Amino acid sequence: MSALQVTWLREVRTFRRSFTGTLPIALFLAVVGWTFVMSLRKSDGGVLQLQTIWGVSVSPWIPVLCSVLTMRLFAEERATGMIDLLLVIPMRERTLVFGKFLSALTMTVFAVSLSSLLPLVIVPWLSPSLKSALHPTAFAMTGIILLLQSSLWCAVGTMVSVFFRNQTMAAVVSILLCGGIPLAFYAVILVWLPELRLNATWMPLITNVYDFSTGLVSTYAIAFYLVMTGLSLFICSKTLALLRLRS
Amino acid sequence: MLEVKNITFSYNTQETLGNITFDAAPGEILAVVGANGAGKTTLLRLLACLLMQDSGNTLIDGVDSLTRPIAYRAKIGYLSERCPLYDEMTVEEYLTYRLRLKGERQFRVRRRLDEVITQCRLDDHRKTMIRLLSFGFRKRVGMAEALTAHPPVLLLDDPLAGLDLPQRKQTAEVLTSVSGRSAIILAGHEISFLLEWCTRFLVLHRGRLVGSYRVNDYEKDLLQHKIEQQMIHGREEGHQL
Repeated sequence: MSALQVTWLREVRTFRRSFTGTLPIALFLAVVGWTFVMSLRKSDGGVLQLQTIWGVSVSPWIPVLCSVLTMRLFAEERATGMIDLLLVIPMRERTLVFGKFLSALTMTVFAVSLSSLLPLVIVPWLSPSLKSALHPTAFAMTGIILLLQSSLWCAVGTMVSVFFRNQTMAAVVSILLCGGIPLAFYAVILVWLPELRLNATWMPLITNVYDFSTGLVSTYAIAFYLVMTGLSLFICSKTLALLRLRS
Repeated sequence: MLEVKNITFSYNTQETLGNITFDAAPGEILAVVGANGAGKTTLLRLLACLLMQDSGNTLIDGVDSLTRPIAYRAKIGYLSERCPLYDEMTVEEYLTYRLRLKGERQFRVRRRLDEVITQCRLDDHRKTMIRLLSFGFRKRVGMAEALTAHPPVLLLDDPLAGLDLPQRKQTAEVLTSVSGRSAIILAGHEISFLLEWCTRFLVLHRGRLVGSYRVNDYEKDLLQHKIEQQMIHGREEGHQL
């Protein structure tokens, strides 16, 4: 078993055993369920497809879930001093970072997969007439964009966790970084540059979900998510390496 | 064999360690002593690759910590002063996890685990959750972890702190038994107790190495007096540095 697998396995077990792993997922599912039902009612008779409604119900909550799941990854190790024992192990920092990132991503994917039961199982069961509206391929495409978004937010959360010893602080900064900055950016555009409003679509990340769920796959969007995920993980492993230079 | 050549280290602009040179071979138990703030922990953290020296080299069996850090780290076992552990794991789970993380082959993990648990007298606590252990047993688990992969160099930061006399004696026995295959460098304050089983003393005073003594070359009372004087004044009584 490689160091990457060992790290991943240990973190996944910790998530399963602790409240910081199970409680956020339970809350996430509850909130997503509520958002989904509300969106379904709102779009009754509209043009939105079931997979799109599911996608836009899940997408805004993923940053919050990822921030809470990733907050303890490095902050806890730094607070307890365990980080010293991890840095003494003969493995590269990036192996450690990637193992922890993958564990948070696994939990997020698990939560998002559970949320897919809403449209796939519950809706056809409650109203068989909607069964014809289910398109497995379109659901798979929505799943891909949600996976890409999950990996980005998990990477950002993992990166932020390295900078803090306090888990709550890490989660708050992570949520601000994931949600606050895009919202502030949009607000600035509305106030100072209203002519750009049409170019800067409302929450481009949600727009990506709309596009993917209707079959409009953009390689630009895929590249953006992959590059930003890689960049966040790179910053994370370099920061960890720099810890050696400091007291 | 561990070779430390002229290492210096500064926190910001303040020099914490200056021009430290020494070596240690398997069979030696080397005690690094000094007053609080003398630089003992900093020296051990440098040797464990947790800090990077400003100048100088550290080598284990010819492997340099700066040019081949991963190969270097594979040759050390480290016990930190705070002895952090994962509280939610059992002793066996934790040691297995650390062995696997160190890249130990699957077929060897069980053997190494049994060996180190017996060596550190943790048999009765194999399945105990770490959060339920007393401080003394937590230290033993930390030491067992440092010993697991049979490293040629063991770095132990204050392994006796907070232990009662029987536990100290047990720790000394364990370290003496493994000293045949590993060079042991430990930081500590309890000179009279360390004199019983350590083979060499390095005395640090304000980041400088002011004395190096082989225990067999001196009478114990005289050596203890010399070391205590150097710890306090940085020199022996009546001598100018």
